[in-house]
Amino acid sequence: MRLSTRLITLCTGLMISHVSLAGELPQRWVSAGGALSEWVSALGAESKLVGVDTTSQHPASLKSLPSIGYQRQLSAEGILSLKPDILVGTDEMGPPPVLAQIRGAGVPVEMFSAQADLASLEATLKHLGRLLGNEPQAAQLFTDYQQQLVQHQQQVKTVQAGHKAPGVLLLLGHAGGKPLIAGKDTAADWLLTQAGGQNLATHTGYKPFSVEALAGLNPEVLVFADRSLTGEAARKALLKENPVLASIRAAKNGRVYELDPTLLVGGLGPRLPASLKQLTAEFYPAAAANP
Amino acid sequence: MKTLVKPRSLFIGLSALCLLATWLSLALGPVSLPLIDTLRAALRLLGIPIPGEGLEQAELILGQIRLPRTLLGLAVGGVLALSGVAMQGLFRNPLADPGLVGVSSGAALGAAIAIVGGTAFGGLPEFIGPYLLSLCAFLGGLGVTALVYRLGRRNGQTNVAVMLLAGIALTALAGSAVGLFTYLADDATLRTLTFWNLGSLNGASYARLWPLLIVTVGVALWLPRRANALNALLLGESEANHLGIDVEGLKRELVFCTALGVGAAVAAAGMIGFIGLVVPHLVRLLAGPDHRVLLPASVLAGAALLLFADLIARLVLAPAELPIGIVTAFLGAPFFLYLLLRGRH
Repeated sequence: MRLSTRLITLCTGLMISHVSLAGELPQRWVSAGGALSEWVSALGAESKLVGVDTTSQHPASLKSLPSIGYQRQLSAEGILSLKPDILVGTDEMGPPPVLAQIRGAGVPVEMFSAQADLASLEATLKHLGRLLGNEPQAAQLFTDYQQQLVQHQQQVKTVQAGHKAPGVLLLLGHAGGKPLIAGKDTAADWLLTQAGGQNLATHTGYKPFSVEALAGLNPEVLVFADRSLTGEAARKALLKENPVLASIRAAKNGRVYELDPTLLVGGLGPRLPASLKQLTAEFYPAAAANP
Repeated sequence: MKTLVKPRSLFIGLSALCLLATWLSLALGPVSLPLIDTLRAALRLLGIPIPGEGLEQAELILGQIRLPRTLLGLAVGGVLALSGVAMQGLFRNPLADPGLVGVSSGAALGAAIAIVGGTAFGGLPEFIGPYLLSLCAFLGGLGVTALVYRLGRRNGQTNVAVMLLAGIALTALAGSAVGLFTYLADDATLRTLTFWNLGSLNGASYARLWPLLIVTVGVALWLPRRANALNALLLGESEANHLGIDVEGLKRELVFCTALGVGAAVAAAGMIGFIGLVVPHLVRLLAGPDHRVLLPASVLAGAALLLFADLIARLVLAPAELPIGIVTAFLGAPFFLYLLLRGRH
């Protein structure tokens, strides 16, 4: 009992000192960028967020915050009405005249890179840590993250020594209909390669594909990211809308896997290492069974 | 001629409506300002020296955000409605809208080039970069309209029917080019393009406002001088000719004013549909087809209507906002249907 009282006193004391230290720091945050909002939450500052854009879908509790609309179509007065101390977003945030208006109203606008690489992530986390007064945790998060990715890369290398990289296609669609195929220079391509797959698509960007061409490539593994359905429902819809898919190797062998489409926007997010690990396990089932 | 409303009362009513819309557009927004603060800040913006303590936020929001936006709305609404009258007069068809001469599709093509190709001209000088989209949209609109006009001319005569068909053909052609750019675009630019096509008064700044204001005032002063000629044209081209109207000159002026006005409006605020089509109708319904009334009344009605639509666009989803094209089409399309069906009885 006495111990717990002391503990509470100690904690309260710590919190108070923390609060007084944080007096200078921005307390009301508006975030325009999915991965950024996730990192702010991961740094324990979810309660400081007072508004997020439509790409901020994780953690799910963010959906209950006021929405400031799409990150490229922000409204100055809308954001100012949330009385923010700071607006954070990726370099895709806009339009520029609106950002100028927000800056003109005395609200700092902090831009972060949306590039999917570790150097950008390090800069992002460092900057966020400084703004949140929580640099040690931010540095720790980055070290852990980097370590996970490096470890994962080593695993992939080891596995690839014994197994041929599977040919993969990533389909991005709405309820199965008219999927777009992820080509070069996309976050999806990076993800597939990183997970040890070989992207069979050679075009750039996300492009519609004829199902025939898709069947011709005959990928060993299909990964689908569906924006409106999840799980078994999405898989069924995909095969129902594109019956030809049933004839390719991936479908015959039951190697059609799901990926959360929100992973594909806004740079490296905190949920990425876990998804990469899962993808690798799906690409190399034999290696996963007997490591 | 007997009309529903006398011109005098129409002008008084529309002016009052316009003033009301302007005031609401200044007084309402996602940031709620006390009425008294809005009033004092507005007076200070007008240059009336009253003490301004505690008004920093109100002055900023009024002066830097709401005032340019309101002026933009007035100008865009006014000039679109005016262009609508010009086109309906030129084609002698109440279903005509400024899109018919290719100005909208040309502007969309210019915008698509700027948005999708924008990164390709990455090394643009600082002073032109932010205005590339507006400039391309304006030039695209002007260019395609000039082409449509040129195609409609033969032996020094402009054939309106040929021009109409040429407009349809070039609109389809420009549409396919926009489709190609859509195909080439990546995800982010695609969304920019989509939103541009729905229009918005968001992010209005004085730098973008001035060119449009000048064009709007110019067109709004010029076209009413041709009201009598437009009235004569209602009778038919040869009849107007016999009445001593320079019909060829009139056609040229109408097409030019429309291209200039719609081009400038679209460059400043993106594509905004239905104002040019519905507003002249509405005014004709109230006050009859006399262009001496129709032209100036349409300016007022278009400006007021666009401001009301913008109020809905920015308030209904606050702190996010809707593209204004959604609101104008949502209100305009059912109204247009009503007009059509009503005419059958």
